[in-house]
Amino acid sequence: MDKIFVCAVAELPPGEARRIETDPVIAVFNQDGEFYALADRCTHGEASMSDGYVEDDCTVECPIHSAKFCLKTGKALTQPATVDLATFKVEVEGDNVYVLAPAQVAA
Amino acid sequence: MDDKLNVRQLVDAHKGTVKPAIYIDQDIYDLELERVFGRSWLFLAHESQLPKAGDFFTTYMGEDPVIVTRQKDGSIAAFLNQCRHRGMKLCHADSGNTRAFTCPYHGWGFGLEGGLSVVPLEQEAYRNGLDKSKWGLVRVPRLTTYKGLIFGNWDETAPSLEDYLGDMAWYMDGFLDRREGGTEVVGGVHKWVIDCNWKFAAEQFCSDQYHAPYTHGSAIQVLAPTPENKSDGKPLGDGQTQRPAWANGLGGVQFSEKGHGSAFFFTEKPDANVWVGGEVSEYFRETYPEAERRLGSVRALRLAGHNTMFPTLSWLNGTQTLRVWHPKGPNQIEVWVFCIADKAAPDSVKEALKASHARAFGPAGFLEQDDSENWVEVQKVLRGYKAKQTGFCVQMGLGFEERRKDGIPGVTNYTFAETAARGFYQRWVDMMTSETWAEIEARTKEYQKELVHG
Ligand code: FES
Ligand code: FES
Ligand SMILES: [Fe+2]
Repeated sequence: MDKIFVCAVAELPPGEARRIETDPVIAVFNQDGEFYALADRCTHGEASMSDGYVEDDCTVECPIHSAKFCLKTGKALTQPATVDLATFKVEVEGDNVYVLAPAQVAA
Repeated sequence: MDDKLNVRQLVDAHKGTVKPAIYIDQDIYDLELERVFGRSWLFLAHESQLPKAGDFFTTYMGEDPVIVTRQKDGSIAAFLNQCRHRGMKLCHADSGNTRAFTCPYHGWGFGLEGGLSVVPLEQEAYRNGLDKSKWGLVRVPRLTTYKGLIFGNWDETAPSLEDYLGDMAWYMDGFLDRREGGTEVVGGVHKWVIDCNWKFAAEQFCSDQYHAPYTHGSAIQVLAPTPENKSDGKPLGDGQTQRPAWANGLGGVQFSEKGHGSAFFFTEKPDANVWVGGEVSEYFRETYPEAERRLGSVRALRLAGHNTMFPTLSWLNGTQTLRVWHPKGPNQIEVWVFCIADKAAPDSVKEALKASHARAFGPAGFLEQDDSENWVEVQKVLRGYKAKQTGFCVQMGLGFEERRKDGIPGVTNYTFAETAARGFYQRWVDMMTSETWAEIEARTKEYQKELVHG
């Protein structure tokens, strides 16, 4: 597992998301103080989930066709998406947020 | 000259006559969309409506629907509100905040900057053969702001907004620049449809003070700031001069240039129209010294009168109504009305202004209804066979045009005149019959030169 720096905690306030340019790209979300990471590219089309809407029910909604995904499990919850998003572990260390990504994810 | 529809025979600004075909003919209307609305600077929105990245406002340029958006870098862009796939209206909301625009038909997704970003089933259906970079939204090529107002123009060759405005900017500043910090839109946008040609509304706000004493006679009668009208303790027009401005003997001015028009009466005190609330008229009195420092006394004192920036943006000083007459065919318009306040005004004044504004110039406003009734009834008469052929008289003050020497700019006349109407129709003809902007400008200049000999 590689530990990839995302940003300072203060740079990712609740309701927001950040994109990290790994391959594949990862989106990191702050939902009400909890951090989650998912594959950034929607499984339906080429939308970036970091542009999505972080919702109160711990989901993120795709900005293009409104497919909802669970932030915890990456599960595709609504049409038009049918394929789940990959999930990644997030670690907060001191003031910083990191993503733990398997080796095949190159930073 | 390229007068394929013979509109020069329908308008004679030198003699002051127009033929009604210009208000009803479908071919003329179609040419207007191309030659007038396709190359004029058109008001899109007020900057205060788009404070944050992703904010958008949808409107029209002529009959073309457009989306105006605040970009991530803080700039403003506007796009034709038409999906590039099969032409569906892309954004159906009046305004809001978004991260992308998705077409309701097959789901093409466009970024805030107009690029096509997402195509459903791209690999399976297009087999990766679609070049997305070629199918972005059509951008409004010219976009600029003037003191908070956002304007767009489809024509790359159009003059700058400043040149297009000419001396109209001087009159516009009197509305937008009274106080430090500029203006904002208060409340939402009132929108309604009435059955008349766009030129009746635009031309009246350009040139017609003449209708006010009679058309609005009942309002003037019942709202006069006399003791009988003050029973609730919060009179309209509290503390104001009792006589209407045209009866105060101080004279006034009508302005005309490049199709734009403006007119007002001089007043001794900074009196807003009697139909704004007492709190509003008091605000104008209190802030007069600042307005005078910024604008000089003529414009600081001016809290009434009418204005049209050619072709379809109109406003009234004092009652602070700003409106666009969106054309919907030759026989219909959609009226969009905004209430404009100084940003620095206290919230209580903004609230009072909003109430005054809706009372007088909302869809059921006591003055708005008087005006709409006139235009709609004129349009109805034009269904008649004889009525269609009968010319109208636009001769008021003909031959009395002058350039003033007191710093009030442009071609001018007395307030009660049709100089600005003649200028409006002359500009309209010049646009309708010219291929290029150089021709338009040359013809308008020649006309104005004849009027005031220079
Ligand atoms: S691109 Fe995300 S739902 Fe279509
Ligand atoms: S018309 Fe817009 S996606 Fe087909
Ligand atoms: Fe009126």
